Order: sequence, then structure tokens, then C-alpha cells
Amino acid sequence: MANIIDVPKPRINCSMLSQHINRPVCFVGRVEKVHPTGKTFTVSDGEGKIATVELNEPLDEELSGVVEIIGMVSNKGVIMASVYNMLREDKGNLFDIELYNEALKVVHDFPQHYPFEGAVSG
Amino acid sequence: MWNQGGYTDTTMGGGYTQSPGGFASPSLSQGGEKKGRTRATQIIPCTVSQLMSASQADEAFKVGDVEVAQVTIVGIIRSTDKSMTNIQYKVDDMTGAPMDVKQWVDTEDPSVDNTVLPPGTYVKVSGNLRSFQNHRSVVAFSVRPLEDMNEITSHMLEVVHAHMALCKPQSMTSAGGMNSSMASMSRTSMGNMGSMGGMGGGGGYPGANNMVNNGLSASQNQVLSLIRSCPDQQGISIQDIKQRLSGMSINIIKQAVEFLSNEGHIFSTIDEDHYKSTDNDE
Repeated sequence: MANIIDVPKPRINCSMLSQHINRPVCFVGRVEKVHPTGKTFTVSDGEGKIATVELNEPLDEELSGVVEIIGMVSNKGVIMASVYNMLREDKGNLFDIELYNEALKVVHDFPQHYPFEGAVSG
Repeated sequence: MWNQGGYTDTTMGGGYTQSPGGFASPSLSQGGEKKGRTRATQIIPCTVSQLMSASQADEAFKVGDVEVAQVTIVGIIRSTDKSMTNIQYKVDDMTGAPMDVKQWVDTEDPSVDNTVLPPGTYVKVSGNLRSFQNHRSVVAFSVRPLEDMNEITSHMLEVVHAHMALCKPQSMTSAGGMNSSMASMSRTSMGNMGSMGGMGGGGGYPGANNMVNNGLSASQNQVLSLIRSCPDQQGISIQDIKQRLSGMSINIIKQAVEFLSNEGHIFSTIDEDHYKSTDNDE
């Protein structure tokens, strides 16, 4: 399979997980609970819904705040993460995840103006 | 300030071309200019996928109907490569494979910061779309790290807004040419994004059908349409507007007139009660 970075990774929230089973996605959410093993954690999206994320390697750092995860959605709706990065909220600029959620709806309402190229055909 | 009867090929107003909103009022194809450079007076927020799939005719690129030359993209740096003369980044905005971005290094000027931004940095890239041997890239005049991650959200919205507005001039609510609607968008788009019903606050996004395309509210659009349609030299008076728009209160009309005047769509003529549109249907 091609490197997940080199393919389109539609931005989604929890409600859209079921439509992206076995596809690469980009999920932005606030870190909720990190499992003691560091290999799995939960995140909440802009609607307050919770998703589970699983990692290949245990976390080697403290994970908190808003995180952007790239991964495949498993059959069970779990995000199998390949890459993640924390969205910085220092300098007092809190990330407005509810507004991001509204923007998600907009970009999905207008795919002709915000294409995730080749996302369907893969 | 406003050139009557056709714009010259230089930029119209300094404030527009580099506005934080990301795109300027247009001076679209000035009647057959040979040099591609002088046509590029807009800067359009785009996604990497749009840039990669843009059609190309000579030096001009098009995303659908929208001509793109200067663009902005927002994405995360995946890799970097620095040489003596330039820095190359691969910038990923999730819409496809990361885009090649090239930034020339100014070796002469010691004040210019040539520090390479590390992978994992979210940036806003402003530059020109280029194609060389079928390979697309952006030659950047600015690669700025984001300090506020809400710019990711705002860029997503700006992309949809810009491409939707630039694509469909016929469906604009204000009558006549595209110019006045564009001008209104470049200045008011940022301001009105926040005030547009329910975005990110209480009610939530109501769905595609309720979006006003040109950045003006319904009442502002009605008032503007009326003023634009007046052929008289001295313009139309507020009282006339009130008569024609009987359903609108005088205060709403006055607020709309003040807003439109501040934004440069209308100007007062013989007195503070008479207004004409800055953009005429002649």
C-alpha cells in the first residue's frame, strides 16, 4: 500500500467514521484518556463524541490537548494511527474545535470546492 | 482611488492584494495582456489537490473556472531540503500527497531569516503555482509558521468561500458585475465570517442553502441593489429607499447604508441622505 502520507486523508469527525472504514483519514480531537500501556487513547471531536485511537508503538511523550491523527479506520471504527501531531495551544491561542467541526461540515458539503482527490477510488 | 471606466493593470488599492483574508479584489484579464505576470493580481486560497488538478493553458492555471496564479495553502511540513540557494519543503494539507514548495534563499540580505522550519510545523504558504516538466510546485514568497491553529479552520472556510464565489458570478444576489461583489468580499469576508449566522457559536452551520455568497447580509444586499439601480446623478435618498423597501425599518436601512458606505460600496452625493453606488451598471 502506498505511504499513507501520499494519499488523500479526508478530515472527518466521529459521525463520519462509519463511512470511511478501511480508508485513510485525518482526525482532529481533544485527548481524553490515555491507556497506561500508551498504545491506545481516546479523543473527543467538536461534537463531543469519542473515538478510540490505536498506535503501533507506545507513546514516548505526554499526550494532551488537541491532536491531529492520520490513520486508517478499522472495521470497528477505531483509528489505527500512523502519524500524529499535537496542535499547539501555547501563546494563548486555544483551538476552537467546535468551529473546526462546523468547517468540516462545510468542506464535506462542498466537495467540488474542497476536493480530497481520489479519496473514493483510493 | 476608484478608477472609473476600467481598471489599470497595476493593483487597485494597496490594502487588497495582501489582505489577511487571503484574496484581493480582482482585476481579471486586462484585455489580452501577453505577460502572465501582470494578470496575477489575486491571491486565492487553495488546497493542494486543487493545485495538482488545475488545468493549464500556456502559463495560466485554472481550478474549474477560477484562474489561479498566486495562491495560499495551509499545511504541515513533512520534509525539508536546504541547498545554498533555496529551501524545499513538502507541505501536506491532507487533500493529497504533500506539495513541493520552494523558497529562494536571499544570500545577500543578512536580515532575512533563512532558518529552515522543521518537519511537523504547520505553515501558511503564499506563492505562485508553477509547472515544470509536468511537475507542479509552489514557488513561495512567504512560508509562515502558524501560531494560531485556528488558521487551519479559517483556511478551509476561505478555500470553499473563494472558489464558490469566484465560480458563480451569475448567482450573486447583488445585480450587475462581479466587481462590486468581489470588492465586498475581500474586505467584509473576514468580518462577516464571524457574524454569519450560527457558525461555530450557538445554532451551528445551517447547511449549504442558507449561505449568502457575497459576504453581505440580506438587508444590506437589498439596500445595495436599490442604490445601484438608481440612474440619477444625485443618487437615491434614504427616504426613497424606505419607500421602496417598505418592510424594512428605517434603522436597519440606515445601518445598512452606513456599513455599505464604510466598506466603499456607496458614497454620499448632495447630502448625507443621498447615495450612489461606487460601481455603476454602465
